[in-house]
Amino acid sequence: MYYIDLAVTGVSVGCMYAMMAVGLTLVYGLLRILHVAHAAVFALGAYVTVVVANATGSVGAGFLAAIFITPLFGMAIYRMLYEPLLSYRPDVPMIASVGLLVLMQDAFRIVFGEQGVTFRNNTYGFTTFDVFGVTVNAVQIAIVVSAVVIFLGLHLFTTRTRIGVGWRATVSQPKIAASFGIDSIKVRYLNFAIGSALAAVAGGLVALLNNLVDPVIGYVVSYKALAIIVLGGLGSVRGTLIASLVLGLVESYGTIFIGRWLDRDAIAFLALIALLMIRPQGFVGTRTA
Amino acid sequence: MLGIKKVSAITMDNDYGQATMDGFLEAAPKYGIEVINKYSYSLKDRQFGSIVASVKRDNPDGIYATGYFFTGGPLVSQLRAAGIKAPIIGSQAFDSEKFIEIAGPAAEGTYIVDSFDRNRKDEALQHFFTEFQKRAGYAPEGVAAVTYSAVKLMADGIKRAGSTDPVKVRDALAATKNFTMLEGNLNGFNSLHEIIMPISVNAIKDGKFQAAAQITDLDAFAPPEK
Repeated sequence: MYYIDLAVTGVSVGCMYAMMAVGLTLVYGLLRILHVAHAAVFALGAYVTVVVANATGSVGAGFLAAIFITPLFGMAIYRMLYEPLLSYRPDVPMIASVGLLVLMQDAFRIVFGEQGVTFRNNTYGFTTFDVFGVTVNAVQIAIVVSAVVIFLGLHLFTTRTRIGVGWRATVSQPKIAASFGIDSIKVRYLNFAIGSALAAVAGGLVALLNNLVDPVIGYVVSYKALAIIVLGGLGSVRGTLIASLVLGLVESYGTIFIGRWLDRDAIAFLALIALLMIRPQGFVGTRTA
Repeated sequence: MLGIKKVSAITMDNDYGQATMDGFLEAAPKYGIEVINKYSYSLKDRQFGSIVASVKRDNPDGIYATGYFFTGGPLVSQLRAAGIKAPIIGSQAFDSEKFIEIAGPAAEGTYIVDSFDRNRKDEALQHFFTEFQKRAGYAPEGVAAVTYSAVKLMADGIKRAGSTDPVKVRDALAATKNFTMLEGNLNGFNSLHEIIMPISVNAIKDGKFQAAAQITDLDAFAPPEK
């Protein structure tokens, strides 16, 4: 049972990482920008969820609000922060992105207080199911279900709809896509909107699970997501999915077996270093050089 | 008191968490307590899935954890969510109203060592409580009371030194005997200027901090002399 308990933890954490990291990898694929401020989008999603849920008494309303508000924020980041800097070297928008993350963390601290916000009525976070001796939290189930639904939806969207196909075309061959009449600017907005909404869902679910949203909520996932998208081969959604699940599981088991010598948060980076030495193109990337 | 023999120990990986845990690990054998397993987590952790699964396997009589309310809250709720019923004993920095808010119903029954007895019939304490609540808008936590007492002690040291000369104030502070703090009586300081005083233990009952015990056996948590 012990190993299954660890697997449940690993898979649910991995699905959370995936929802967070996919927005990051999409932005990288499209614009070659390391969108560090994605962690602020994740945190905003968590705050909106908890604040609206407490105001209306409905956790569902909290999630809906987060899914509507964070895409606007994500698109604003593109329009106001990245677009004016696109002609510069890629590290320029990245530094601006780090700056925005720091600014947002302090803004959250000032607006919502440094002690953090909890749900007034969080039944989900305290509901658990006992399945043959394995304990599963309701929110863990929600995380896995959301991830599966979202990624299936995303798959159908990018393979079965015109907009989705145009999106994929723009990511892989921006110039050819443009010559076919695909509006690459619209694709960018779509990209930020979808990536941000996914981060918001992940943020809201983590908020429920911890029953706490504090200004640093996005911090740990932000740098892990960076490791994940590199592991997954920058710009690859499938690679990001695999890397997220692998990291979730490795961390879950690793905390126990190597946790004596190594901090859990260091595992992601150790794996990153090892992989970059063996397979610098990531899990699914193809070697270009 | 709780009849605990086998303990799982969970440490927060910073100076406070480790130093507190070191003290516990050193004292545990003297009281016939066996530490079955030790785990550690970082200050930024809010997800304790692997530790929780391992504690569940340990099946201890009790769990001792160091941390702050913002790590302790999620930790305690996740331990309880996994169906672990053993008593949880937390370190001082669990002592915050926010801890109860985060852990919700899971906070019930958690013991907090080196907390302070909020209901003690003491005019200064009750005055501090009402004023803090009035001005800050929320109830003071352990750290607020300790800080308040520390400033009072500093003022007392300056008064006894009869000057603000740092050397004289330091000597006056080191020579402190039986100073009344909000938490109780401060006996004095040892050769390393570590504090010597009885400590209180709180338990959370009906979503409130309630005094559970007073530990007067000073050897049990004697600070290091060197």
